Amino acid sequence: MIFDALQSLIAPIPLFAVFLGTVSGVLVGGMPGLTATMAVALLIPVTFALEPLTGLILMGGVYCGAMYGGSIPAILLRTPGTPAAVATAIEGYPMSQQGHGGLALKVSVISSFVGGTFSVFVLLLVAPILAIFALTFGPPEYFLLAILGLVGIVSMADDESRLVKALISGLLGLIIAVIGTDPISGMLRYTMNMTDLYDGVAFMPALIGMFSISQMLELTGVKSIISDTSSLKKIKREPFPKGLKKFVGLGSLTGTVVGILPGEGATIAAFLSYNFARRLSKKPELYGKGNPEGIAAAEAGNNGCVGGSLIPTLTLGIPGNSVAAALLGGLLVHGLIPGPELFTKYGVMTYAFIMSLFLANIVFLLVGLFMAPYFARISLTPTGLLIPVVCLFSILGSYAMNNSVLDIFIALICGISAVILHRTGFSLGALILGLILGPIAETGFAQALIMGHGSYAIFFTRPQAIALWIVILLLLVPPVTQIIRQHLSQNREGAAG
Amino acid sequence: MELLLLSLFLLIAILLYRSTASFPEMVQGSTATYIRFLAVSLGFLCLLEVVLWLRKQERAEKKELNLAASPRRFWALLGLMFGYSMLLEPLGFYLASAFFLPVTMFILGTRKKPHLILTSAGVLLFVYLVFQKLLGVPLPESYLF
Repeated sequence: MIFDALQSLIAPIPLFAVFLGTVSGVLVGGMPGLTATMAVALLIPVTFALEPLTGLILMGGVYCGAMYGGSIPAILLRTPGTPAAVATAIEGYPMSQQGHGGLALKVSVISSFVGGTFSVFVLLLVAPILAIFALTFGPPEYFLLAILGLVGIVSMADDESRLVKALISGLLGLIIAVIGTDPISGMLRYTMNMTDLYDGVAFMPALIGMFSISQMLELTGVKSIISDTSSLKKIKREPFPKGLKKFVGLGSLTGTVVGILPGEGATIAAFLSYNFARRLSKKPELYGKGNPEGIAAAEAGNNGCVGGSLIPTLTLGIPGNSVAAALLGGLLVHGLIPGPELFTKYGVMTYAFIMSLFLANIVFLLVGLFMAPYFARISLTPTGLLIPVVCLFSILGSYAMNNSVLDIFIALICGISAVILHRTGFSLGALILGLILGPIAETGFAQALIMGHGSYAIFFTRPQAIALWIVILLLLVPPVTQIIRQHLSQNREGAAG
Repeated sequence: MELLLLSLFLLIAILLYRSTASFPEMVQGSTATYIRFLAVSLGFLCLLEVVLWLRKQERAEKKELNLAASPRRFWALLGLMFGYSMLLEPLGFYLASAFFLPVTMFILGTRKKPHLILTSAGVLLFVYLVFQKLLGVPLPESYLF
């Protein structure tokens, strides 16, 4: 069956579909406000006129390409093309400012390739078994997974004041996420009678505002993104740094596992990978200042989500994330019902689709490696030209999500708020993390309490929950211990002086 | 500015906590509890940060908050973006952008006419071809024309 699948894939039209889908995905992912979900959903009617396999390959290519594409503006402009690229922006943009944008892009594309390929390999080999594992996760575990993602906030802080401010930022994100509809009763909360807020504050406009618009406002004081252009005559082709393999491996594994869990997304995968990398690094103090380790882990994590998210999608009909949901729509439209039949009766098509994802990873690797030095030249553009163009695309991207002018104003308010918060030492990464994870945390918490009849024991008795608590403590203990030690040594110095 | 922000967040925490009293009975043990937890945590952390801030003020000199390296351009850009957003519905995307792009470039220091014209035209053409024609993304349309 694998051989037949390979034969049906190695034909001009499917191969062209892989190339076209992947390149389109990179371009869509690279434009803030345009998401992979939108691109895949827009492709569904296009696939009516195509053979089912070609249509699926096109959608799969867009998915893979977009997960990588989001890192390009994240690195060059601190404007994540997709929410999953926020962690990449934290490390990649400082590298661009130091004149190493080309290197950051190279690390990003290679890590994305490894993460994506690993997860597709896992999809090919163990899909049905892992789907059963995914089904054992319930609301208590989803709540704890959100907590696990939020624990990263603690690891972003170096001292007690920054820790408190980072926690405040995360809480603000969680509080903003409360606006909208109560997930249990359906009651409207804090919407101020605005229909646009019934579904809550859309996080993409908030993300664009906090990262892109705020950055453009800060750039009004400089002539170029790169602080010292005199030493940089051309974008250098720098070699891939040594010692990144373990971070890429860690990100790939984390992304694949998180991707398997329905409803979790590449954003959580990227942040978790980033945090694990920071814990394992020999130089954690370099994080946030342009450390390729962070890019490697985050990008491997978000592309690792691709194959992982397709596991419950193809085997159980439960989408791993919103992009997989759009892909599921495409499957159903062509009469392909997820489940055992997909791997038996339609096995040739399914395996051909899975193998096309390997090809998609190779396509974006080649495109990324070849084009990286040219993409990186964007950082040499004078800010007088760059800022208006990026602001226009940011405003357009905020509008495009829901065709709502309110979203544009949300982006602008978030932009100016982000500048103020950043100057006063609060953490934007923590805020956006709270905003993204808020709905998962609240729904998981509320449903778990209902399941447990009001008892909190449900968060501590299930084996999967216990395993998650152990991971949370392992992530939490080192930074908190470090901060306590710093505080004690400062007190000792103060007493001695 | 920090103290002002922390006071604002403390106020938000108090108002948030009080608002949960009006939630329906069926969610008092679930989502209302979650929101109360967020409010209490925010309030506690704000108070803690105020204490830390006061201790820092005793030790170190006060630093003025410098929002922008170039305040004129900073506020001009912000004002232009708000103005542009308000003009999108009356004028539509293309007309509003045709004002926004060259004016913003000029204020940020671009003086060469070819740069102003070609960049604006190029961006609008790109949006038309890629966003509107290829991807079918709906753009704001004028309600006046």
